[in-house]
Amino acid sequence: MTAAPVAADAPAAPAATDADLRRAAVRVLLGNWTGSSTLPSRTLYPHQWSWDSAFIMLGLRHISPYRAQRELESMLGAQWADGRLPHIAFHPATPPGAYFPGPDFWRSASAGSAPPGVPTSGIVQPPVHALAAWETHRADPVASRRRGFLERVRPGLAAWHRYLADRRDLGGRGLAAVVHPWESGMDNSPAWDAPLARVEPAAAGSFRRRDLDHADVADRPTDLDYGRYVRLAADYRDHGYDDRATPFGFAVEDPSFNALLVLSEHALADITAELGGDPAPHRERAAALTEALVGALWDPGAGLFLCRDLIGGAPIREYGVAGLVPLAVPGLPVAADLLRTALGERFRVGGVHLVPSYDLTGPAFEPGRYWRGPGWFNMSWLVHLGLLRHGAPAQAAALRASMLAAAARTGFAEYVDPYSGEGRGTRDFSWTAATVLDLLSREV
Amino acid sequence: MTATTPRLACQEQLLPGTTLQDKWEYARAAGYDGIELRGRSAFALRDRLPELRRALRDGVVLPTVCVDMPHFFGAFDPDLRRDAVEQMKSQLSVIAEIGGVGAQTPASYGMFSRRLPPFEPPRSEAEDREVLLAGLAELGAHAEREGTTLFLEPLNRYEDHMVNRIDQAADLIRAAGSPAVRIGIDSYHMNIEEADPAAAVLAAGPLIGHVQVSDSNRFQPGAGHIDWPVFFAALDAIGYSGWTAVECRLSGDPDSALRGVPPFVRKVAA
Repeated sequence: MTAAPVAADAPAAPAATDADLRRAAVRVLLGNWTGSSTLPSRTLYPHQWSWDSAFIMLGLRHISPYRAQRELESMLGAQWADGRLPHIAFHPATPPGAYFPGPDFWRSASAGSAPPGVPTSGIVQPPVHALAAWETHRADPVASRRRGFLERVRPGLAAWHRYLADRRDLGGRGLAAVVHPWESGMDNSPAWDAPLARVEPAAAGSFRRRDLDHADVADRPTDLDYGRYVRLAADYRDHGYDDRATPFGFAVEDPSFNALLVLSEHALADITAELGGDPAPHRERAAALTEALVGALWDPGAGLFLCRDLIGGAPIREYGVAGLVPLAVPGLPVAADLLRTALGERFRVGGVHLVPSYDLTGPAFEPGRYWRGPGWFNMSWLVHLGLLRHGAPAQAAALRASMLAAAARTGFAEYVDPYSGEGRGTRDFSWTAATVLDLLSREV
Repeated sequence: MTATTPRLACQEQLLPGTTLQDKWEYARAAGYDGIELRGRSAFALRDRLPELRRALRDGVVLPTVCVDMPHFFGAFDPDLRRDAVEQMKSQLSVIAEIGGVGAQTPASYGMFSRRLPPFEPPRSEAEDREVLLAGLAELGAHAEREGTTLFLEPLNRYEDHMVNRIDQAADLIRAAGSPAVRIGIDSYHMNIEEADPAAAVLAAGPLIGHVQVSDSNRFQPGAGHIDWPVFFAALDAIGYSGWTAVECRLSGDPDSALRGVPPFVRKVAA
């Protein structure tokens, strides 16, 4: 095992105590703040990312509820008229060439529904936002009410959920589909290998990657996969990001995406009730989504939720952390079985560093490569929530301890080798600091 | 979200009572940990030494003094400048003698603003710098001898034309080279001058030696719109362990305003 090279941003000195770790995490989030939102990383990800912002809010609310509120308000400023929340809002101060695919690729201005003046991408990321909004409100209800935070964000969050219900139920089973691997947030998961294999890659010379300027090539997706990502995005773009007109070459029901939608639908119910509205429609929608999730994606044989390839018409038999995320759903009927899988040999939660992003025993497992094995802090945060929710406090404590130790040891690495605990990807990664801050704010 | 609670002082003129002992009784009851003195001109602080010694004997905590004079060590007039340096040296000696941590001064106050007519000061930037470096070197050497610290306070652009931001103070302090000169930050001025006050605190780090607080409108913390949680989180993140002194005007009922500050600060810094 070779040590992951760290190019631009050296890790901070290891934090000795929880107080030191908290201070170091605060420094990361204050350092990545731009004035209206937080960069996931100053080097690798120099814009605002949709689901990153939501996870960042979960930690930022402990530093500054005001900044956490601004984070979401800034994201919602990039929302399209059709309700979609784009996966990137491009930061005007960052040079256009700093990230590929950048504004020149997505050309959001040419899509009728995109907001004027804010260049964005056209795809989405998992809907963690209502959950983050509610948790941010709860961090300081007085400050939230004074600014009218929930009043301000509720319409946008409701429109976002409506977009997913109206435009993305491509399978007709009451679930939201993703039309690009990046929409799952788990860009390079082995679950996408089979559905991606059908996609004709964009010509190698037709684009230039920027991710390899700041990260080790061994940790990142291959060039061939990158060509396929570009092809899918270009096809969507060339059909005006119209979900009814685009002949999607990739369409998948992802259990993590939909479980996060369930959590956010419950949060939207809480938000609506707090504002004096009727939460029932959101509770009903959360219940219907939970039922659809279990009915359509639960695989009793595997004891895990599986992604479903809507084009091939079959479950994708790759066991990834996406299938564990529903553990965070309250009242999940199959929680006991899913818990067994989480603690079993495929994921060994509590026995390895973080929650591996992919089956430790699976054929495609690689301990250091992007979403093909290493553990991520946001996924581990969700599984930690699930362990607490479904009666596994000892395992939750072990997972929490492994997250805190890994963050301290690696200088807030983007992801972590589940066996060696070595940091991978970039350092001073915002949601790593944010999820750690949130864990530090509670006892377990 | 911070690991340590700020040590909170209140400037003496804000506190009711005629003696420091009276003021201290009020301050303690309100939740303050110390009283910041005001150092007037004509060696007024030195002349108060008997009073200060009595107060110390009675348990009053007096960590710092903030200058309260009509001229400063960055004055255009050489005689006023010389007097200000001598006054500050005396204040440093007094604060050292009573066991405090330091004395705070801006480069100047109310002398010139580039934002107000006639816009162009009578002295060049290079000359300003020369004057400030000479003053900081002399005061730093004196503070070192006395075992105390001089805090250089950046003021907003309408109150001073030379040192408005924390990075400018840091640059001067590094150039002056004395370990006994540190930055005394003030949240009110930072709110006007810093693009990102928290980032400015992180950048200056250990050069920050003292903190004064008032809100965006110069009233007590909580009366304006400064993002206090992030302000204190940034101070905690750099490991700041010095004093936080309330220097402000009071809005509303003065008693409620003063008593409201300690619980407010402890809440937003929690």
